[in-house]
Amino acid sequence: MLTNLPIPRIDPMPAPGPIWLLRTLLLLTFFLHLLFMNTLLGGTVIAFVCTLRRKRSLFAAQLAGELGRILPVVFAFTITLGVAPLLFLQVMYGHLLYASSILIAVPWLGIIGMVILAYYGVYYFSLRATSHPVSGTIVMGLSIALLASIAHTYTNNFTLMLGPDRWASLYHRSAAGWNMNWTDPTVLPRYLHFVLGALAVTGLFLVIQGLRKRETSYGRWLIDQGTLVFVAPTILNYLVGFWFLLRLPGGVRMTFMGHDTFPTALLGIGLLLPLAAIVHLILARGNKSPVRQAIIGIGGGVGTIAVMVLMRDAVRNAYLAPHFRFEQLPVAPQWGIILLFVLIFVGGLATLFYMLRALTCSPNRVTAATAASGR
Amino acid sequence: MNYPVWQLGFPGGLLIAAVAVLHVFVSHFAVGGGAYLVITEHLAYQRNDDLLLLYVKRHSKFFALVTVVFGAVTGVGIWFTIGLVSPEATSSLIHTFVWGWAIEWVFFFVEIAAALIYAYNWDRLDRRTHLAIGWIYFVAAWLSLVVINGIITYMLTPGRWLQSKGFWDGFFNPTYLPSLLIRMAMATALAGMFGLVTGLRQATPVRERIVRWAGAWLLIGIALLPLLGRWYYGKFPAFAHDYVAGLIPAARRAVLAGAVCAALILLLTMVFALLKPRLVNAAVVAVLLMCGLLVMGSGEYLREFSRKPYVINGYIYANDMRVADVTRISTQGVKQVSPWVMAAEPVKYGRELFALQCAACHSLDGYRSIRSRVRGWDATFAREMLLHLQLTRGTMPPFAGNEQDRAALGDYLASLAPAAVAAGGEIDAGRQVYEMRCALCHSIRGSRRPLDFSGMDAGAIADFTRTLPDLSADMPPFTGTESERHALAVYLHDATK
Repeated sequence: MLTNLPIPRIDPMPAPGPIWLLRTLLLLTFFLHLLFMNTLLGGTVIAFVCTLRRKRSLFAAQLAGELGRILPVVFAFTITLGVAPLLFLQVMYGHLLYASSILIAVPWLGIIGMVILAYYGVYYFSLRATSHPVSGTIVMGLSIALLASIAHTYTNNFTLMLGPDRWASLYHRSAAGWNMNWTDPTVLPRYLHFVLGALAVTGLFLVIQGLRKRETSYGRWLIDQGTLVFVAPTILNYLVGFWFLLRLPGGVRMTFMGHDTFPTALLGIGLLLPLAAIVHLILARGNKSPVRQAIIGIGGGVGTIAVMVLMRDAVRNAYLAPHFRFEQLPVAPQWGIILLFVLIFVGGLATLFYMLRALTCSPNRVTAATAASGR
Repeated sequence: MNYPVWQLGFPGGLLIAAVAVLHVFVSHFAVGGGAYLVITEHLAYQRNDDLLLLYVKRHSKFFALVTVVFGAVTGVGIWFTIGLVSPEATSSLIHTFVWGWAIEWVFFFVEIAAALIYAYNWDRLDRRTHLAIGWIYFVAAWLSLVVINGIITYMLTPGRWLQSKGFWDGFFNPTYLPSLLIRMAMATALAGMFGLVTGLRQATPVRERIVRWAGAWLLIGIALLPLLGRWYYGKFPAFAHDYVAGLIPAARRAVLAGAVCAALILLLTMVFALLKPRLVNAAVVAVLLMCGLLVMGSGEYLREFSRKPYVINGYIYANDMRVADVTRISTQGVKQVSPWVMAAEPVKYGRELFALQCAACHSLDGYRSIRSRVRGWDATFAREMLLHLQLTRGTMPPFAGNEQDRAALGDYLASLAPAAVAAGGEIDAGRQVYEMRCALCHSIRGSRRPLDFSGMDAGAIADFTRTLPDLSADMPPFTGTESERHALAVYLHDATK
C-alpha cells in the first residue's frame, strides 16, 4: 500500500501472465466489447424512435424491423465480449474492483437482473414489434431505460474503483451496499461521454448497413440517417469531453496536457480523428459514390473508439498512480497454459469463421447480418 | 479481513447458492440439451419424420431463449456474486485459473454463436451444415463444462495444488472425473426434462413419441446418478463424510432430499413418460422440473457444505480469511491488518469483527442464527469459546485476532445472547445448560467427544466441572451460576448413567 487509505492488499498469488499481455488482452477485448455494446445501446434507441415514426416513414419501419432482428445477436455478443475484459481486469485491478463493488453491491448485482430483463425485452421487440407495435415500443422503452441504468452503474463503479479516498465514508454510510458514487464530479460527464459515443457508433453501424444497400433509396437514406446519428452526438461529445476533462483532478488532467507524452498524443488524435470522420461522412452523404469517403469516415470513427479505450486506460492509471503500480504485482507466467489458450483461441476463431462462412455462402441467405440473426 | 464486508442481513453464501443453483440448472441443460437437439434432428432426418423435425425446430428456439439469455447472464451473475461475497477467494481463483477461464471464454463464445446460428437458421442452411453447427455447439458447451468442472472441484479437493500451486495439480484434482461424469449425467437428465416442456405442446400424433424419447434421456441421466454419486462422494474429504454421517444434520438432510427427489423423478418418468405417455401433462412436468431443481440444489449444497470450514479447502476459510493469515492476524490484531474496522467503542468494534469473521455464515436471527447459538452465554464464556471454535463440529474457522479483539467479539456475542428460558424441572434446566455450554463440542454417547459420567453422582460431576481447564487447554471453564452447575450435574448424571 502506498497510502494510508483502506486499499486491500494485493493477492499473494502472482499474476499468471506478463502484465503487457494481460493489458493487451484487457484493452483489445474491451474495444471489441465496446463495438457491440455501443451498437446495442444506440441501436435500441434508434429502433425505439423508428417504431414511433413507422407510420410516417416506411424506411423507419423497415429499419426498426431490421434492428429488431439484429439486436438480440448484438446483445449476445455484447455480453460474451464483456466477460473477457472483466476477467483480465480482475487479475490486475481486482483488489480495487472488489472493494468498490462491495460498497455499491446492491446496484452492482442489480446489473444481472437488469441485463436479463433488458435482454428479454429486446427479444420481445424482435418477435412482436411488427404484430404488436405499441407493446413492442413500450417494452423497448423499458429495455432502453434498463440499459441506460446498467451503463450508469458501470460508470459509477469504475469511477469509484479509482477513488479509494471515498471508500471509508461510503462503507460507514451503508455497509449493506446501498451506495452510489454520486459525489464524484466526473461521473456525469463520463457517463454522458460514453452514452453519446454509443449513439455515434450506432450511426456508423447504420452507414455500414446503408453502404451494403447503397443502390437503393433505402440504402442512401440509411447513409444519411447514419451520418446524422454519428455527427450530432459527436459534436456534442466535444463539449461533454471538454467538461469531463475539466472535471478530472488536476494531476490526471495534466497527464493529457503535456505532462505525459503518450496520453497527450492520444488526446490530440482523439480530437482530430472524429473531426476527420465527420468531414468524410458528410462528404459521403452528398456523394453519388460514397464508398471511399464513407469507409474513411467509418475508419476514423472506429479509430476514435480505439483511442478512447487507450485514453480511458490512461485516465485509470493516472488516477491510481498514488495507490497502485503494475510493478507491485508479482508475476509468474503460466506459459504452457498461455500457449494452450492461444491455440484454442485460434481454433475458436477458425470455428467461428467456418460457421459464418457457412451462413454467408448459404444459397438462401439474405445478408450476413440477417442470416446471423436468423430471420 | 482484507476487503469490506457486504452486510446484506443474511449470510452471503445463501445468495451465492440461489444464483448458482438457478444457473447450474440451466447451464447443465445447455450442455445436455445440445446433444439432445442434434441427435433428435438426426433421428428426424433418418426417419423422415417431419413432425419430429418441427418439434426440434421449436425446441431449439426455446433452448436458445433459455440458455443464451438466462443461462449465460446468470453465469456472469455468479461472478458478480462471488466477487461481492468472497472477494479474497475470487481473487485467488482468478490468479490461479485466469487462463483456464480465458479458455472457457473461447468455448463460451463459440457456444453462443453456434446456438444462435443453429436455432435460427433451419431453413437457410443445408441439413449437413446445420447438423455440423449443432455438433459444434454441443462440443463447445461440453468443453466449457470440462474447464469449469476443474475449477469447481479444485475448491473442494485441491489435492497436490496445496503444495505445488501448479495449475494442472489443482485442475485435475481427486474429484475432477467423478464430478464431470455426474454433471454429464445430470445434463442428460435435464435435456430430457426440458425436452418434455416443449414436447407437451406438440400435436397428438408426435407428442407420445417425443414424451417417450425425452423420458428415455431423463431416465438414463437420473439412473446413473446413484452409482456416479457414490464414486464422487467417495472422493470427498474425510471430514465431509463425518458431516453427512450425522455430524451435520443439514448435510444429511440435503443428501436425503436429493435422493428422494431423484427417486421420484425415476418413478414419475417410468410411469408417465415411458408407460403412459398420454397421461403426461403440465403438472407432471412441473413436478419433474421442481424435483430436478432440488436434486441439483442438494448436490450443489452438499458440495459447498463439504468444504466447510473452507471455501477453498485447506487454503481459504469460508469467511474469506486465508489459512496462512491466521497467525499474523492473531499476533498483530485485526485493527492492524484490516482497514475496514474503525469503531473505538468495544461492542461496536465487536460488531465489526462479527461482520468480518462470522457474518459469511451466520445471520443474527435468520439463517444459522447466531442469537440462538449463543443463548445463555455470558461474556467470559463467549470469550473462552472463541478460542475453541475450530473444535466445535469442524465446520467453523478459528477466530483470528488478539486478546483485545477476542474480548470485543466475546462481549458483542454476549450482548446478543437471549437469557436462558426458565425450564420446568431440574433435569430440563440441566439439559438447557448442557446444550448452551457443552453440546457445541460434545455429545452424550455418539462419536463427538462423548461424555461419560457413569459411576459418578451429581455432586461428583458438579465438582468435576470446577476443574475443566485443567483437563485440556481446549476446555473452557464453566462460568455459569451455582444453580446452573447443579442442574447440569443432575442432567449429566441422569443422561449418562
